[in-house]
Parts: sequence; C-alpha cells; structure tokens
Amino acid sequence: MGIWENILLAIEGLKANKMRALLTMLGIIIGISSVIAISTLGQIMEASVLGIFDEQGGSNLVGFGIRQKEDAARDYYYYEDWINVSMIEDVEERFSDEIDAVAIQTDMLQGDIRVRKEDKKAQIYGVNAGYAKQSMTTVNCGRYITPDDCAKNRSICVISDKQAEAMFGSQRGAIGQTVSIKANYGRHGTGLLTDFTVVGVYQYKLPSFLSSMVNVEDWNSEVYVPYTTLIRIMGGDETFWSFNVNMKTGVEPEEFCTKVADYMNNSYYRDNDSYEIYYQTAASQMDMISSILGTVSLVISIIAAISLLVGGIGVMNIMLVSVTERTREIGVRKALGAPNSAIRTQFIVESIVICLIGGLIGIALGFGLGNIAGAVVGTYAAPKVSTVAIAVGFSLAVGVFFGFYPANRAAKLDPIEALRYE
Amino acid sequence: MKKQNIEVRDSGLVIEAKDIVKTFYIGEPNELEILHGMSFNVPRGQFVSIVGQSGSGKSTLMNIIGALDRPTSGEYYLDGIDISQTKDKQLSEIRNNKIGFVFQTFNLVARTSALKNVELPLLYAGYSSSERRRRAKELLETVDMAERAGHMPNELSGGQKQRVAIARAMANDPSLILADEPTGALDSRTGRMVMDLFHKLHEEQGKTIVLITHNNELAAETDRIITISDGNIISDSDISSRDAAPPELFRPAPVPVNTEGIIDTSAKAPADGGTAQTQTAAQAAQAPQTPAEDAAPKAPVNEKGDE
Repeated sequence: MGIWENILLAIEGLKANKMRALLTMLGIIIGISSVIAISTLGQIMEASVLGIFDEQGGSNLVGFGIRQKEDAARDYYYYEDWINVSMIEDVEERFSDEIDAVAIQTDMLQGDIRVRKEDKKAQIYGVNAGYAKQSMTTVNCGRYITPDDCAKNRSICVISDKQAEAMFGSQRGAIGQTVSIKANYGRHGTGLLTDFTVVGVYQYKLPSFLSSMVNVEDWNSEVYVPYTTLIRIMGGDETFWSFNVNMKTGVEPEEFCTKVADYMNNSYYRDNDSYEIYYQTAASQMDMISSILGTVSLVISIIAAISLLVGGIGVMNIMLVSVTERTREIGVRKALGAPNSAIRTQFIVESIVICLIGGLIGIALGFGLGNIAGAVVGTYAAPKVSTVAIAVGFSLAVGVFFGFYPANRAAKLDPIEALRYE
Repeated sequence: MKKQNIEVRDSGLVIEAKDIVKTFYIGEPNELEILHGMSFNVPRGQFVSIVGQSGSGKSTLMNIIGALDRPTSGEYYLDGIDISQTKDKQLSEIRNNKIGFVFQTFNLVARTSALKNVELPLLYAGYSSSERRRRAKELLETVDMAERAGHMPNELSGGQKQRVAIARAMANDPSLILADEPTGALDSRTGRMVMDLFHKLHEEQGKTIVLITHNNELAAETDRIITISDGNIISDSDISSRDAAPPELFRPAPVPVNTEGIIDTSAKAPADGGTAQTQTAAQAAQAPQTPAEDAAPKAPVNEKGDE
C-alpha cells in the first residue's frame, strides 16, 4: 500500500472531522508559529540594525570611548578622565593613513530654535566636520560645518530640509538667514539665546527602524553647530566620552582599533588609576545585539518546545481516540488481509499529516505575525528555506513520535476482537 | 507479495480440519474449551452451511476457518496450507488471497466509496491503482452494483451493501468465501437476493462457499449441512465426511435425501426440507435449535451468535 494512498486516506479522515482536526493541530500551530515568528523577527531586527550601521558609515565605522578599569580606584570621574580634543587630533594625525574622518559629537541638547519670535523644539548637536561622513549626511544646499568653523568658533548652523521649508519656505531661502538657538539643559549648563547663521541644509532622514514607530513632527529635528561654538556658549571643557572614526576602505577594524586603543592607553591613560580607552566595531555591536536576540530566541524556543510537546500529546490523544473509534474498521482491514505493518503505517501517516498541516499553518501564521511586528520597525523578511525546513522537520518528527504508540496499538489489535467491537 | 515459504499440499480439499480444539483462557487457572476436536473436509467447489445455535462454537470455528485465529491443537489445512503453523504476517496474506469474508453487518469501511471498498483487498495484495480500479469495477458489475460504484456505504441500502461486500470478498479470487450470517441483517426479500447471488457464484464460477447460519431454511439450500452444538459436530449431511465426525454423535443429517443414506450434493433441498427435519424425533432431541428455528423461519435474527 503506497504512501500516497495513506495520505489520501488520512486527509479523507481529517475532512470528516474538521473541527477536531483543527483543535488537534492547535498545539502544533502555536509551537511552530512562535518559532517562525521569533526567527522572522530576529531576521528583521538584524536587518534593521545592519541598516542603522549602513546609515552610519557601515562596517568602516568604529568607536572609541572611556570606561572604568576593572581595578578602578574611583567610581566617579573628573573631566580630566575624558577624551580631549588634543588626543583626538593626535590620533587623527598619527593614523592618518588609515583614518578617513574622525567624528566628534557633544551630547544631544534639547533646545529651541527661534525664528521670527516663534520658538520651535530642536535637538542641538555640537559636531565637527567629520560627523557628516559618519552620519552619511547629504547636504542639499549650502555647506556642512568645516574644520575652520570649529577652529574659529563660528556661530553657524546646519538645519534640516524640513526645518528650512517650515521656517523659511524653501531650502535655498534658508541659507544666510539668522536663527536664535537656545540649548535648554545639558552637562554644560543652561545656554543663552544665541544667534546663528544658517550655512547649509541637510537632507533629513529618520533612522529606518524608528521611521514608522515615532511620529515626529517635520520641523522637530536635529540642528548641527560647530562643537567648539556650542561648548563656548554652554561652558565646560572640550572633552568627550567617545569619538567615532571612519576608517579608510580596506582597513581591518579589529587590528586598527587595537592599535589605536593601545596607543591612547599608553600615551594618555597609563597613569590614570580608574579609566581606560576601549573600542567598539560594527561587528562587536552586532554580536551584542545577536546575543540579546539569542536569549529571546532561547526563551521562545523553550515555549515552542513545550507547546510542541503538549501539541504532540494532543495528537497522540486524538489518534488513540481515532484508533478506538475505528476499531471495527481496523478489524475489517485485517480480515481483508491488511498486515500489521499496513495498519501501523496508515495511522502513523495520519498523525504525520495532522502535524504537517498544523506545521504548515504554523509557518504561514508565524511569518504573518513576525512581519506584522516587522511592519512596526519598517522592515520585512522573506521565509528562509532553512527555517521552513526545520519547522517541517519538527512537525514530521512530532507526528512520527506521537503517532507511533497509537498506530502500534492499532496494528496489534486482535482482528476477532476488533471485528466484534461495537 | 505472493512470496510465501509455506508448505502447500494439494489434496483437492479447500478445508481439511483434523481434531480442531480451541481453548480460551479465562484467567488462571480456568480454561474453557470451546471446540472439542472437530474434523471435517470441504472439497473444492462445495457450498456448505454450518448450522449451530448461539454458543455452539460456530463463531470460534468461523474464526479458525477464516484464518483469523489458530486452533489450540489439531491441524487445519486451508487450500493445502497448514494454518496452525503460520505466523501472523502469513495469516494476513492467507486472509488476503485465500479467503473472502462476508459479514452479517456488511462491515464496509465508512466514508469510503463502494469502489474503494472493493479495492481494499487488491490494495493489500499490492495491485497498482489502475489495475485495482479495473478489477473492482468488474466485480461490482458481477454483483450488479456498477452504477453505485461512487456511493458511500451510508448511501446504500442493506442489500446493496451486502452485494458490495460480496464483490469485495471476491476481489482476490479467493479459494473460499466465508459468509457469516450474510442475510441476518436483511429482510427476507433482500436476503433472498443475496442467497441467489451466492448460488450464482457457486454455480457459474464454481466457488467454494461456507455459509454460517442458524437459519435452517437457508442451510437447506446448500450442498451440505454441518450442524454443530456445544463445540462438536453433531451431524454432517456429507457421507464422505462421516468418518471424520465423532461416531457416537453422528446422526442422520436434516436433509431428507440423507435419510436414505444417499448423498445428493447437486440437488437443492426442497422448500419443505425444514418440515422434514422436524419429523425426525431424534434429530429434534439432539439439536434443540431446530424447532425454534422452524417456529420463526422468516424472522431475521440480528444477533451474531457470540459466545
């Protein structure tokens, strides 16, 4: 008796009891769909995180910062512990063969931008010329902040296309206009209202994974000013927690970072009792995200395993019911010459068919759910062949495992007893 | 599929039973002997009826004849194959291609069309799907059910179901058709139709048929009547089997021609055969079921005669 006949037979049987079949499949559907949903979500998260890196210079971007040493003497810091501009300039010069640009950025400051006596919210960043490269900013018209602007503490700013259009009607019309900017708070204290001249308009873009999650008003976005100017207005030192480096293409990140970090630690932090320089590459940040995702996946996988187990027991239960209900049919089949093996195969195939259909529904549902969650993040994922294969394999295994006992019971029925069964 | 390392001896007998004993264990230390050593032969082409009351061991004997069960002791050759020595797997092969079952309750597989039901034995015999279909259609034609091939069992009347069941029993051209109260669940008219079908198969195709019944009127239509009671053969209308029956229990069989000691297997028992039976006082004493059967000869009896 061929497998195909058994499959048709099983499908006929399921059709006769649709509701029961569906309820039986539920455990399998939930188990498989949760695994698929989480793996789809993982794929989406990975893609969107990679997307963020790409927006920020991709794998050529590395970051340096300070952190407490393991045997730190203090758990507080002085501004002397921070990275100062001369260190950054030193690094930039010493490793100029490998460095494309160095990006410096002050902390983001909440503030107001005032045009014609009207205040609008803005996030103010003090940056250097290299920041444009790191953030992959496109300048639509005018120019970006130059090293010269920073050196001379010029009161200039770069605003977004949306801001320009909202405040001045057009992007081009914004160039040369004066706006008043006030940073409300920050580590440098509360700033005063200062006039800045708009020198450039950049193309505004939200990071992709936020784009549909946050409904930001058009004008409420970042304003860039030279970091030196910002620090001068706000007060404080020209020191930073961290800075980013865009490496030249082809430079090996790990090697470069080790070299730079070692140099800085030896030159500037040798005598520091509590702080040292560390680095992050795109790869190491990716690893961190993966490990978080990995933990989430593990938890979901355990839930899925439990629901597959419960689902499997449900399948086994219903198969036992099915065997009992069809005792007489089994007796007839045996009387007509069906060997035990044919009966066993018939019921195992039935169990597999239940689990496979459940599995396929679960796969479809899982991708649906994963992509609904993905829609929030703004990225979609296509089913991976390997994921589908694993899910199908699992459903199959559950079908065989939990179908075997009932099928074997059917196979071992005494034909005489079975024929007499009412 | 057809490969069998079973020893076959050709004796011209479809059933060759010697001292068949069947014992059931009903919990230690009790055992219950249902068949006390039955011996009889059925030659190829005979239409035999086995008659017995409920609890006579009829069903147990049928299970053994049908290779559903093995005797506890004794020898049973079906078409020359020693059943008492075969394994389960071989038993199912034997059931598949040597025996065609016809049951009182039809036992068609539910939610499976008449055609598919007839295909079942062919399926287990390993025929290809096109071959199965072709043969099943042919078989349905012989029982006049071709136009109902696609119907489900619940869309068929009792008589139609039984005709499909007979077609199914014929599927692998078995050596023996074993019919257990085939008219028991049918009204007399459809029962008559089913019996006519058996006669047709017997006469036109030379089928060996064993009919198990407690309806003496039906039994009288067959070539030979074996009557069993309390696990023994108490009468056998076939003279050639006389020596096989326990002599002290042997009585003249209830077919009138047999009172003369002449065997006439070809002639159907006349309709008044049943009446003739009751006239034998000794017979009535030995087989107390006979008058009871006679009192209500037409009433379809729905019980299967279980122990």
